Amino acid sequence: MDRYDGASAGMTGEERVYAQKELRDRRAESRQVERGAFDLPFFLLTLLILLIGIVMVLSASFPRAYYKNGNATGIFIRQLGFAGLGIALMLVLSRLPSTFYRRMSLPLLLVTGFMLALVPFLGTGKSEVGANRWFDLGITTFQPSEIAKIAIILFFANLICVFRGKMKTFKYGVLPFAGILVITVLLLLLEPHLSASVIIIAIGAVMMFAGGTRLWVFGLGLAVVGAAGFVVVKFFPYASSRITVWQDPWSDPLNKGLQTIQSLYAIGSGGLTGLGLGQGRQKYMYLPEEHNDFIFSIVCEELGFIGAVLILALFAVLIIRGYWLALHARDRFGALVIIGITSLLAIQVFLNVAVVTNLVPCTGISLPFFSYGGTALLIQLGEMGIVLSISREIPLRKKMSEDEDKK
Amino acid sequence: MARSDSESRKKRNTGTILGRTLVLTIVCGVFAFAVLGFQLYKVMIREHERYEELAVRQQTRSVSVSASRGTIFDANGHTLAKSATAYTVFISPYEIKMYHEKEYKKNEIVYNDEPTLIARELSRILGADYDTMMEQMKDTKSWYKTVATKISAELADEVRQFKKDYSIAGVHIEEDSKRFYPYGQLACHVIGFVGTDNYGLDGIEALYDSKLEGTNGSVVRLVAMNGTEMLFENYQNYNDAINGNDMTLTLDSTVQAVAEKYLQQAMKANYIQNGGCCIVMNVNTGEILGLANANAYDLNDPFALPEEKEAELALIEDETERGKERTKALQAQWRNMAVSDTYEPGSVFKIITMAIGLEERVITEDSSFPCYGKIPAGQIQGRDTDLNCWKHAGHGEQNLRQAAMHSCNVAFANIGLKIGTKTYYDYVRAFGLRDKTGIDLSGESGSQWWSDEHFLGPYGPGSLASASFGQTFNVTPIQMITAVSAAVNGGYLMEPYIVKEMRNADGEVVYSREPTVVRQVISEETSALVASILESVVADEGGTGSNAYVPGYRVGGKTGTTTKTALERQTGVREYMVSFCGIAPADDPEIAVLLVLDNPSNESGIYIGGGQMAAPYVGKIMSEILPYLGVQPIYEPDEEALLDVTVPRMVGEGRLSIRQKANELGISVREVGEGDVVTAQLPVTGAQVAAGSQIIAYFGESAPQETVSVPDLTGKTVAQARNTLQNMGLYLDTSGASPAIAGVTVASQAVEPGTEVPYGAVISVTLVDNSNLGMY
Repeated sequence: MDRYDGASAGMTGEERVYAQKELRDRRAESRQVERGAFDLPFFLLTLLILLIGIVMVLSASFPRAYYKNGNATGIFIRQLGFAGLGIALMLVLSRLPSTFYRRMSLPLLLVTGFMLALVPFLGTGKSEVGANRWFDLGITTFQPSEIAKIAIILFFANLICVFRGKMKTFKYGVLPFAGILVITVLLLLLEPHLSASVIIIAIGAVMMFAGGTRLWVFGLGLAVVGAAGFVVVKFFPYASSRITVWQDPWSDPLNKGLQTIQSLYAIGSGGLTGLGLGQGRQKYMYLPEEHNDFIFSIVCEELGFIGAVLILALFAVLIIRGYWLALHARDRFGALVIIGITSLLAIQVFLNVAVVTNLVPCTGISLPFFSYGGTALLIQLGEMGIVLSISREIPLRKKMSEDEDKK
Repeated sequence: MARSDSESRKKRNTGTILGRTLVLTIVCGVFAFAVLGFQLYKVMIREHERYEELAVRQQTRSVSVSASRGTIFDANGHTLAKSATAYTVFISPYEIKMYHEKEYKKNEIVYNDEPTLIARELSRILGADYDTMMEQMKDTKSWYKTVATKISAELADEVRQFKKDYSIAGVHIEEDSKRFYPYGQLACHVIGFVGTDNYGLDGIEALYDSKLEGTNGSVVRLVAMNGTEMLFENYQNYNDAINGNDMTLTLDSTVQAVAEKYLQQAMKANYIQNGGCCIVMNVNTGEILGLANANAYDLNDPFALPEEKEAELALIEDETERGKERTKALQAQWRNMAVSDTYEPGSVFKIITMAIGLEERVITEDSSFPCYGKIPAGQIQGRDTDLNCWKHAGHGEQNLRQAAMHSCNVAFANIGLKIGTKTYYDYVRAFGLRDKTGIDLSGESGSQWWSDEHFLGPYGPGSLASASFGQTFNVTPIQMITAVSAAVNGGYLMEPYIVKEMRNADGEVVYSREPTVVRQVISEETSALVASILESVVADEGGTGSNAYVPGYRVGGKTGTTTKTALERQTGVREYMVSFCGIAPADDPEIAVLLVLDNPSNESGIYIGGGQMAAPYVGKIMSEILPYLGVQPIYEPDEEALLDVTVPRMVGEGRLSIRQKANELGISVREVGEGDVVTAQLPVTGAQVAAGSQIIAYFGESAPQETVSVPDLTGKTVAQARNTLQNMGLYLDTSGASPAIAGVTVASQAVEPGTEVPYGAVISVTLVDNSNLGMY
C-alpha cells in the first residue's frame, strides 16, 4: 500500500485540498498527542482501587491460607506480585499506539477462538462445578475467557469502524456481530462457562449499541436470550435449582445455598461501620471463595456500609471517567475500545456485587482488582493500560480546553 | 474555518456514539451503582440485626463450664463424696459433613470416608459402639451427639491426639466431672449417688441436689468453621461457674464403719434372710452418727448387683422380664430400710408404754404386776382371745423394774389398759410415732396404726393391749429410735438430722443446723427412771438384755421379737423380726443404738429372739463407739477381775520382774527353761487375753513354732473354753455377755473350728447369756 497522503482517486480538487489539509492537521495533532501524557485521574483511580483490593485480599485470605498452608500471607504475596507485573504491563500497554490494538484485533480474536476450542480438551478444572476453564501454565493458571472479552471488544470496535455508516443495516450492523457472539458463546458453553457467556453477550451488546445498531435489534436479542433462558431454566434441573436457591437460599443451606447464605451473613453483619479491617469472622472457612468471587462480602463485613459504598463510588467514578475519556477520544476506534473496556468493568462489578448480595442468581464472577487471581488481574490492568494508551491520544489542548469548559 | 468544519463532521459522524455513550454512562456509571447501593442498604442496614444474629450464632461456641459439685464430709472432715474432673466426647455430624465434604474435596486431599474413620478410631479408643456412631453421623443437622461420658484424662488425650493426627473437625472434648466416693460402700444409703448427668439420684445427693450441684457457667468463644479459635480474635465471654456447697454430715465414718461391721456380723451369724439395719443416734441432739443397712452397695458403681444376684438374673430367659427383675433388684439394693420400711417393733416398744404410764402416774416403780402366763379371753374389752405372755408359765409377782427386765407382756398390757386408749394415742402421737420424723433423707415412710375411730371405739382396748408391747402396728426404725431417745434424754422429742453444715465455694457458712426440739413428751424425772430401768434390763441378774452388756459402761436397752402375724395369716409362713435398742450411759444417756434384723433362721443354732440375736451386737457396737466418743469406762471391782488383760512385754526381763508384772495384772506366768532372761513369750506383747489366762515365758529357749488346730468352743462356758484352749497352747479373748453371769456360754468364735493357727494365738469368742431364752 502506498503511503496514504490524505487524497485518493476520484476526488475533486477542492475535496483533495480539504483532505490533505485535514491530514496535515491530524498529523500535527498526533505528533502533539504522541508526546502527551495519559489520563492521570484514571490512572490514579485504578491504582487506588487496586491498592484497596490487595489489602482486602490479605484480610480475606489469611485464615484459609494459614489453616491450609500454614502461611497466612502466601496468597497475599502472590497477588502482590501479580499486581506489580500488572502495573508494569499497564504502563507498557499505555505506551503502544491505538493503531497497534486495531491491527491486533483480528489475530487476537482468532487466537482466542482457537484457545476456547482447545480448553474443553486440554484445560483443567479447579472448581467443584467440574468445568474445564483454565489452562495450567505451571506457575499460574489462565482462563481464555478473560482474553475473549478484550478480544471481542477490540474486534467489534474495529468492525464498527469498518462498517461505519452501515451499522443501521441488518447485514452489517447485526449479522457479523451476532455471528461472532454466537460462535464464542457456543465455545464457552462447551466448557461450560455460563457467567463468561453472559458477560460476553452483554459486552457484545454494549459494543453494538454504542456502534449504532438499531435499537429494535436489542429488543429482539433480549427476547431471544429471555426465551433461551426460560427454556434452560425450565428443562435443565441444574439451572432451575439455581433459581430456586436464588429465591430462597435456605431451601438448600448446606449445598447450593451455602455460599449465598454465608455471604449474606458476612454482608449483613457488617452493618453501618463494619467489624473493622481484618476483624471479619466469616472468612474463617464459613464463607467459601472468600478471597475470590466473594471478597466483596468480606469488604462489607469488615468495612461496613460506609466502606462498601465508598469503594463502589470509586468504581463508579473510574467508570464515569472512562466514558468521559471515550467521549473525548480522538477517533471512533479509540472511543469504542474505551466504551467496551469501561462497560466490561461496570458489568463485572455490577454482577459480582449483585451475586454476593443475592440480587441475581449465584454465578462465578470475580470483582476486578479485588478478587484473587493472577492472570485475571494482569488482564484487567492490561485493559486499563489500553484505556490509558488511548487517553494519550486525546489532544492536549482540547483536553485542557475541555477541562476549562467544565469549570 | 476549516477546523470548525472538521469538528462538525466529526461530531456528525460520532453523533450516535456520543448519545449512546451518554446513555451507557448513566446506566453503567450511575444507575447500576444506585441499584447496588440500595441492595447493600437492604442487606447491611435494614436486615443487619437478623444476619448478624445468624452469623454470630454459627461463629460462636458456647462451651459449658461445669460447676464443681460440693464435697460431702463426715462429722470429722473425712471426705465421703467428692467430684473429680472427667471428660465427655461428642461429635458434631453437621461439622463433619460440612468440613470434610467441602474442605477436603476442594483441596483435593484424599481421605478415607471421614465418618467411617472417626467412628472406627473413637470406637477403638473409647470402646464406643461403631454402629451407633455411624447412625449418629446421619443426623447431619446436629451439632452435638454424645459418644462417651466420664472418660479419664488419658483417654481424652488420646482422642485429642487422634484429632491432631488426622486434622479432624467435628470431634470435641468437653470437661465434665465425675463423682467419687472414697469409702465405696460406707454409708451408701445415706450419701446416695449421682447419675451420669451428675444429678443426685438417691440419699443426700438427691435430697440436697440443688445445694450441692452449683450453677454451671459458660465460655462463649468465636471459632472458625473447623472449630479452632480464630486468629487475632480474643472475644470471649465468661460466665463463671458457681461451685456447689460443701456439706458436713453428723455422720461419723468411724461409728458408721463399726455399725456396718457388726450389722454384717449379726446378719451372718444369725442367718438373716431378709434385711437388717442399724442406726446410731445422739439422743440429746437427734444427730445421726451412723445409719447402716445390710443391703450395702458400692457408691462408685451403684448399678452393679452382687454376683449371686447377677447369676440369678442370667437364668431368666425373657429379656423384658430380666430387665424388670434387674430394676427390682436395684431398687431393693438402694432401699434405705432404716427410714423407708416399717416393722412391728415388739417389746422394744415397752419402753414407750412404760414412759407413758409413769408420766401419767397410773403406775409407779413399785406397782405390782403379777403375771400368770396370760390374760384370758373376755377380760379385755373388745378382745375375744387369750393374751399370752411369751413365758407361758408366767412371771409371778413383779414390780415395774422386774416386769421390764422380764419383758412381761401381761404386765405391759395391763399398763396400757390403765393408761387408756385416748391418752395412749395422744402419747403415741406426742412421741412422733404417727408422723414422719422429718429426717433429711430421701424416701422416709410413715407408720401404720389403727384408725382413731377403731382405737378410740369399743374394740380399742383389745388393740391397745397388743400395742402396749409393740404389736399390731408398724413404725420405721428411725421413728422407733427417735421415740426411745425422747424417752431417755429428759423427755425431749428431737428431730433426727444428718446434715450439720453447708459452706459455699468461698467457705462461708450458708446453712448450719441446730438440734431441733419438737416437743417435750415426758418429764426429766420420768425419763431418768426409764433409763435406769433399761439399765437393769441389761445389767441386772435375770434381765433379758444381758447379752448387750459392756464391761465398764452403763448400757441399758430393750429387746424386741415379733412374728409377722399378717404374713403368717396370708401365707402360712412364719417369719420373725428381732431387734434390740440400746442406750448408754444409762445415768446420762448420750447414744442410742437400734439394730433390727428381718427374718432370722433357726438353722443358725441361735435361739430366735432379740436378746440372743441382736443384743450381743448392740453391745459390741457400744463397746467400740463409747470409748471412741470419749465416754470413760468405770469398772466395778468385780468387773475388773473379769476384764481382758493386755499381755506385757517380758522378753529381756528377769524372773523377778515378770513375776511382779504378772501379779499386778492378776495373771499367772509359766516359766520354761533355765536361763535368767526371758528370750521368748506367749502370747505376743499387746495381745488381749481373758482374765485368768496363764502366759508363758521362755528362758533361753524359743517358743514352739508349730501350728495348732482351733477347737470348736460353741456352747462351752468361759472357764471350759479357756481351759480347752490353754491345754492346746492357745488363748481366749471374750466379748458379749458378762462372764460373771452364770449360764453364759460361747455363742460364736472369730476363728472357725479346724483352722490352723500358730501356737500361742488368741481366739476371740462372743458370749451369750442363755439363762433366759425366750421371744421377748
